[in-house]
This record gives sequence, C-alpha cells and structure tokens, in this order.
Amino acid sequence: MDANMPLFQMQGVAKSYGGVRALEEAHLRVETGRIHAVLGENGAGKSTLIKIMSGVVQADAGQMMLDGAKIVFPSPKAANAAGIACIFQELSLIPDLSVADNIAIANPPRRFGLIDRKAQRRFAEEALARAGAEDIHPLAQVKDLPLSRRQMVEIAKALARHPRILILDEATSALTAGDVAKVFAVLKRLRDEGLALLYISHRMQEIDELADDCSVFRNGRHVASYQAGTKSRNDVVEMMIGREYSHVFPPKPEAAKTGAPALEVAGLNWTHRLNNISFAARPGEIVGLGGLDGQGQRELLLALFGVLRGVSGDIAVNGVVRHARGPRSAKAVPSAMALIPEGRKTEGLMLPMSVRDNLTLPALDSLARFGIIDRDREQTAVDMMVKLLAIKAANLDIPVGALSGGNQQKVVIAKWLMIAPRIILLNDPTRGIDVGTKQEIYQLLRKLADDGATILFYSTDYDELIGCCDRVLVMYDGAIVRELKGADITEHALVSSAFSIGSGCMDQTGERQVG
Amino acid sequence: MPAFLARIDKPVLAAFGCIILLLLVGSLYSSSFLSPEYLLQQLQVASFLGLIATGMMLVVLLGQIDLSVPWVVTVGGMMSTAAAGWGPLGEALAIPFGITCGMIMGLISGFGVAYLRVPSMIFTLGMNAVAQGLMVLRTGGFAPQDHSTETMHFLATGRSILNIPNALFVWIAVGAATIFLLGRTTFGRTVYAIGNKERAAYLSGLPTQRVIMLAFMASGGLSAFAGVLLAGYSTKAYQSMGDPYLLPAVAAVVLGGTNILGGRGSYIGTIAGVILITLLQSILSVMQIYEAGRQLIYGAVIISMLLVYGRQKKAS
Repeated sequence: MDANMPLFQMQGVAKSYGGVRALEEAHLRVETGRIHAVLGENGAGKSTLIKIMSGVVQADAGQMMLDGAKIVFPSPKAANAAGIACIFQELSLIPDLSVADNIAIANPPRRFGLIDRKAQRRFAEEALARAGAEDIHPLAQVKDLPLSRRQMVEIAKALARHPRILILDEATSALTAGDVAKVFAVLKRLRDEGLALLYISHRMQEIDELADDCSVFRNGRHVASYQAGTKSRNDVVEMMIGREYSHVFPPKPEAAKTGAPALEVAGLNWTHRLNNISFAARPGEIVGLGGLDGQGQRELLLALFGVLRGVSGDIAVNGVVRHARGPRSAKAVPSAMALIPEGRKTEGLMLPMSVRDNLTLPALDSLARFGIIDRDREQTAVDMMVKLLAIKAANLDIPVGALSGGNQQKVVIAKWLMIAPRIILLNDPTRGIDVGTKQEIYQLLRKLADDGATILFYSTDYDELIGCCDRVLVMYDGAIVRELKGADITEHALVSSAFSIGSGCMDQTGERQVG
Repeated sequence: MPAFLARIDKPVLAAFGCIILLLLVGSLYSSSFLSPEYLLQQLQVASFLGLIATGMMLVVLLGQIDLSVPWVVTVGGMMSTAAAGWGPLGEALAIPFGITCGMIMGLISGFGVAYLRVPSMIFTLGMNAVAQGLMVLRTGGFAPQDHSTETMHFLATGRSILNIPNALFVWIAVGAATIFLLGRTTFGRTVYAIGNKERAAYLSGLPTQRVIMLAFMASGGLSAFAGVLLAGYSTKAYQSMGDPYLLPAVAAVVLGGTNILGGRGSYIGTIAGVILITLLQSILSVMQIYEAGRQLIYGAVIISMLLVYGRQKKAS
C-alpha cells in the first residue's frame, strides 16, 4: 500500500441539482491527525461536498476512497458506519428531549428492550466530557438550553459515535467567544488523538488559528489546496471571491450627525430582560448593538418593532411618542420601521414560495388597490429590488429556498426595502453568509444611511461593528453599559465593555470596565 | 401544451388521470357512464361538495382544518328553510339568511383559532357540537316541516341554459371568485404566506389574525350555502344532512394536491378532487354494492390514493 495514502480521498466528484451544477471535478484529501479547512463563499459547493461525504446525497460522477479502497455511501447510515460523523449548520437536536436522549438517539443503550436510563446518562456524560461541555446536565431539556450550549450538545452527539472523520459545517457560528475557545481546545485534542477533522467556517481568524491544511472552492470547483500559513489572508479571500478584496467596509462619514433624532428610547423595560434602556439615533447614523450574545439585543429590536407584550417606557419616532402594537403598525408610516430578523429560514422567508411572492409581502398593501394586486406595479417594484441588491436567481418564480444563503439574505433585506423604511433594525444579518455578499450588504447599509435612514445594527461579529457603525451601544444583562464612538470603537474596547459587569466572565478578559 | 402541463402540479395531473380511469372502469360496467346526461348529473351533485371543499381548501391552505362542516351545513339548510316559513320577506331572504348564519359560526371558529389561539381541530369540533345542540334545540329533536323556497329548489335542481344544471353555475361562480382571490389579491397571498410560515408572515407585517378569521368565516358561509342548496335539492332541511360531507371535503382538497400542512395547493386541484370523489361515490352506488362494502371500498380507495401521490415532500 502506498505510504502516502490519505485516510479519505475524493476524486472528480460532480453533482447537479436539477440542471444547476453544484459541484464539479471536486477533489479532496483528508489525512489523520490534521484539521482540514474548506473555504469558499456560500454557493461554492462546500455544503454539497459535505453532503456527499456524509451520504446525504449521492454524487453523479467521481469516486471516494477510504483507506485506499473505493467506497460508496448510499445513506447517512453507511457513512456513519464507515466512521464519518457530521455536524451540520442547522441544528439537528430534538428540543423536547433531554440532552442524554439526544446524544444517544441513534442507538440508545438498552436493557430487556427498554432504554437503560442510567447507562444512557453515563454515555452522555462521557460524550459531553469529550466535547469539553461537562457543565451541561445530561437530563436538561434541549429546548431550555441557549443556542450556544445546544451546539456543544451537537458536537458531543457526533463524538459519541467515535468517528474517524469529523466534519464541522459552520459549527461555531452560533457560539459565544468563550465557547469557541473551548471548542477549539477540544478540536485540537481530537486532532492529536488521531482524528481527521474537516472544518468549514466563514470566520477567517478561526481558520488561521485551527487549520493545518486548507482547500478553497469557488463556484463548485476546487481552486487550490495549500498548507495553512503559506498564503496571506488577502490571497485566500481573493481565491474565494475571485476578485480583489479591498475596502470591505465603505468609508464612514467624517462628522457625527447632529439632526433631530428619528428614534428616541427612554426608560425601556421588559420583564427582567430589558432594563431601563435609553438612547437616541439620528437619520444617517448606523448605530451598532454590541456585547456578548444574548444580552438583550434581540429583545430590544423586537420591543421597538412592537412584537413584545408588556413593554414599558417611551419610544418616540421623530419626536412623537408612538408604541407599535405589532409589525403591522411598526411598518406603517410615520414610523416606517423594518426589522430584518435573525433566522432567515424561520422568520424571514417562506422557503417554498417564489422569490417574487417573498419580495412583495411587506409592501403588499401599497402594491394593491382594494386588495387586488396590481401586477405591473408589483413587477416594477420587484425588478428594482433585484437590480438594487443584485439578487442572483435563475428566475423570480423559483422557490426562494433554492437560492444560496447569501442571496436568500438579500431577499430578506430587499423585501423590507420595498416599504422604503426610515428606521431599519437589523438582527445579525450577516450570520453564515459569504464574504462577497457581506461586503455588498455593508455598502448597502451605508448608502441607506446616507439617504437618511436610521439604522440599528446588532451583530455578533466585532469586525462588523468596528467597520460599519458610527456608534456602538454595548449591552450587558439587558442594559446599555457603554457607548463607543468613532475611533473608540476597537476590538479591545468592545470586548472589555462586553464583559463589564459580573464576575463569572472576568477571568476571560482580566479587565474591568464599569459602564 | 407541454409548458402548460408543466405548470400544473403532479398531484393535479394524477387526480385528472384518476378521473379518466374511473370513467373508463365505469364504462366497462355500463356505457351510460360516458353519456353527457350522466356526467352533467354528476357535476350537479359535485357542486354541493365543491362549495364545501372550497371553504375547506382556504382553511387547509392556512395549515388549519374545519371540522364543523357537518352541522354548519345543517345550520345553513335549517335556518334558510326556517326563514322561508316567516312569510314573503323571509322567503326572499331565506338564502342570504342561511349563509349568514353559517358565516357567524365560521366567524366564531375563526376568532377562536386566530385570536384565542385554540387549535382549529379542537375549536371547530366544539363548534360542530354547539351547532348540533342549537339545531336540536330549535327543532325539539324532530325533523322540521319547513320546506325550501322555490328559489332554493330552482338553484339546486333547475337547468336554465344549455341544459346545464344551475348548481354547476353556482360552483363555477364561486370557483372563479376563489381562483381570483387566491391568485390576485393580498388576501390570497397572505393565506399562502401564513400556511408556509405564520411567524414570518406576522413579522412581515401581514394581518395574519384577520385573514385567518376571514378564511374560517368564508368556510362557514360556503358550508351553509351548500346546506341551503341541499335543502333545495331535497326540498327540505333535516337533521344531520351535512354528515356525509366532512371526509369527502377534506379528501377532495388533499387529493387535489393541497398540502394538508398548509401553504401549497391550487384550486384546479380541488376541482379535480371534488369530481374524483363524486364519481367514486356514484360508481360504487351504481354497481349496487351494499352499504358496508361501499364504505370499505370508499375509505380504502381514498387512503391508497393518498399513499400514491398525497405524500409530497415537505417544504424543501
């Protein structure tokens, strides 16, 4: 046998979905004891590659080899049996079952045909420990865990199968910084134990830190493979998007805006999740919301949009106190508010409906007369948005679910621009989308602000807050603890103020900032 | 032609295919199954189910269901004949009065589902029992002697133009309005949006609660309208006259390719489903199979048809 034989190899693999080529001539070498990063924009074919590798879909052409022997995976089960475990982007846990039930779901330990709960609990504890998440109680219900903890359970579930190759697809996109560090320690330990890891992420610094080998894909083709550290970050991004990567963020305006605020919030409270929030935002401003994940940023946006019941305090739009009673009254003139929600698949889009139908939903009333949709006006409005955001779709009547993640996100944004909003609330709009689309979104936001819109922008990505925002309000435990302006918005300042109060997180930054 | 065919869903094509198959099987038994007179008669009978299935489809598209059909049909029949007993004015208003009573029942169901957030399966089942109680209360447990009006009889059994049944014209008018409603109005677009993802529809600022309530109201009104016509057909209203219509209505909607979980379906499919169910019932009875055997075959055929093509993939 060839000494250089990799653990797993893929050659000339191709896959089309109904005429659209998702992958062609793909090859990949995965070796034991190494972390292999796969890079590429959304729609580059990474997800298809993984699905083929884990048996979810079958390749149209090409072959796969494991230990030098040809192998086919007709089902995910076959791939599992061969030692390939996959952690997908979308969480696959059942919310109403306990952590232990979920981890052992494929093959729970049994006694006399019934599930042996004690053995299952031990099994789950072992798997959680292996994933570095001993703090999660195996009998807790998954639905009670925050998103980042669930992701740790997901990793434990995959490890419980003792895989030889572990695939992580955007597995850290929901994690907080503290968790990411923990996961990385676990992944490095697994690598040293001789596992082969395939790692997919949009976060460049994660790949810099973790990867041993990298492969870049673009438009379904394999572009290059190289050893980590041999290429500069700029080179890598250029390979991914096929064009020069400069000026990711559009320039910020020199002077701070001074006009009357479009949005004023005074003493906003909601249960114990929002505590006495006061701030103002002016037309032309992009105001960021920073802080650790889950400190009330989402609730603040929802409260402004009128979705939460029992909010107290004043919300004034253009100086007039006005409480939205729901999205319908929030989007109406004079507030003309838009909320780009967090989950595009659950809250933003109706995936089986066409691109056209999705685009016009918020603006339906203005496109109709006596409830009857004016098709010409609808067409004009849709065309304008597709052009403005450069949405790539074969045609507008295909289901929006058939678009790539980045284009789906563009549709979510476009459908709200249809109502010509004056106040735009964004809830982490760039999660899980590719660099090229991110760049387009940043530019669009700045353009909207320059045209006089007021933008409130929550992001879990510090780079974005630094690059995009005129001001950043850092939140902690439902309150605004610090406001950063202009040149003060630095990663250091964001991180240190994010941990400003509370002792549990102190050791991670070693700094104390009282807002 | 191929482009036109490609636009139609596979289940709809399958439903039309089954209709042709049923007619062929029937014609082996007796050649009269292909006669225009028989077909027109079937379409007349299908019109009653068609009205009910139209309302059911609106509700199913929302991802809900209306189980109050049997007694709302009876309410329509009984209240219109009751109005007919109140003199000339009552006679004139018999049809709108019957429909209005059904709409009120539907409105209450819709309010419960949309605003009180009670699952429609429970709430409409409860409304069915309430409607039954009200009707029994009114008649004291006896079949009322009220007879249908001339107009009702004319609409349900008459044939005015080209020997085509009037009931069929009623269904065509309601169907055309529904196609327009679903395809061209904000109401229709909102119905599909809610069926696909109610949360996203709400966050898009669509009037989700109002639309759900209106859809149930339409369903109640159409069931009652069918009850009015049925009373006209048999010249009087009677207890449990709506009982045989719940399963066929749901089956027609689902066989026509409307996703039982909501969000997808076309009215063309519902038309096919209604005709298919009606033909099946007719052929089974013409073949003079005794009642129990007929029920067995009827149920088995519906289940197997759903197995063949009713199991569409969930939203991808």
